[in-house]
Amino acid sequence: MTEAGHQAAVGAPHAPPKGLAVADVRLRGVVSALPSRRLDNVDFETQFGPEGVADVVKMIGVEHRYWVPTGQTASDLCFLAAQRLLTRLDWAPDSVDALVFVTQTPDQRLPATACVLHGRLGLSSRCQAFDVGLGCSGYVYGLWLAALLIQGGCSRVLLLAGETSSRLIDPNDRATALLFGDAGTASGLERSPGAPPIHFVLGTDGAGASNLIVSGGGFRTPEPDSRRPDSLAADHLFMDGGEVFSFTLRAVPKLVLETLANAGVERERLDALLLHQANRFMLRHIVKKLGLTPAQAPINIDRYGNTSSASIPLLMTTDLATRLTAAPMQIMSVGFGVGYSWGSALMTLDSLACAETLAA
Amino acid sequence: MSAFYEGLAEIFEVEATEITPQFDLIAHNWDSLAIVSTLALIDECFDKLVDGSVLAKCTTVADVERVVGMAAAA
Repeated sequence: MTEAGHQAAVGAPHAPPKGLAVADVRLRGVVSALPSRRLDNVDFETQFGPEGVADVVKMIGVEHRYWVPTGQTASDLCFLAAQRLLTRLDWAPDSVDALVFVTQTPDQRLPATACVLHGRLGLSSRCQAFDVGLGCSGYVYGLWLAALLIQGGCSRVLLLAGETSSRLIDPNDRATALLFGDAGTASGLERSPGAPPIHFVLGTDGAGASNLIVSGGGFRTPEPDSRRPDSLAADHLFMDGGEVFSFTLRAVPKLVLETLANAGVERERLDALLLHQANRFMLRHIVKKLGLTPAQAPINIDRYGNTSSASIPLLMTTDLATRLTAAPMQIMSVGFGVGYSWGSALMTLDSLACAETLAA
Repeated sequence: MSAFYEGLAEIFEVEATEITPQFDLIAHNWDSLAIVSTLALIDECFDKLVDGSVLAKCTTVADVERVVGMAAAA
């Protein structure tokens, strides 16, 4: 577009409203499920040596994480979380109109694992069910989709977000082996006339796709990449930490500020900023750069690792559980990473009916 | 002593007085952790964002300072 054309578009009388927003939708409750197998940093010392572990931990801040045992999948964790959520919310299975499953570690290549979960949960044949293949940004995209489904006529939506990244990492890759944890979560969203708008900002930069990738297992033959160590198999996760980090610094502070501006909310009025738990050093840096207090931006990566799309709901059911169930809160959820893909959702919540964490 | 040099000294675990433009990064474990820490330090001290891949090619502190000089403000 020419400069003049661009200015004309900006100044057009029917400019769209600032950003994306969906009203009349409420988040009712959230449940997370963690696998029973806990791995402490000392468990990695045989492999990487105490110093090798300490170097990485200083940066990522993970003290322990939970990994699924053989045979347990992300959908198993989400199933348990969903069952508990339905009970706590007193939602009959046939009252659920849609099930959205956000994961990059589905049970099978087909069918969509959402359909399998639909069957296990005994939901109605009128309930739609589909998978969304996003990672770190996936929970926010799930909230967006759930809100739109409700705007389109659904009354109740089950949003399940779960990941077993432990199954994707090369156990010999120090940078990723220590970082990731597994978790499954379930969130219940419901039509609620009069609920204030949820403000969203969503975006993508596909040029960053190769910087965080499992290149094998799909239908395209993996292309050689000189950055990959020869020992790293195609079906293991490759992460260019430096590139992902600089992407995050470029994208996230801007994303948070844009969302606040669209919603007309001062950052001091934000009760909690729920950042995807990517890496503790990075989180602290972002919080400082945004001029937020540490109390406004809880960090739990020390106890659970980076759980990809599950990290934001897991933050709700752990560090924020007491506050979320006690009183209304204004919170912003921010997911960013693999894709590159990012999204934010600013919500004014009523106190939640439940926010709890289960051992699966 | 600038905050930037002090930050670099912390990253490389050396005395702040050791950081000079000639400081050899490669000899001090210029790995992905050090690069990521330096990215954040540059953002903090100069409000500038540089690319990890560009930073990775630096071999001295002077190189890093040149990269910072060329970067646009964040």
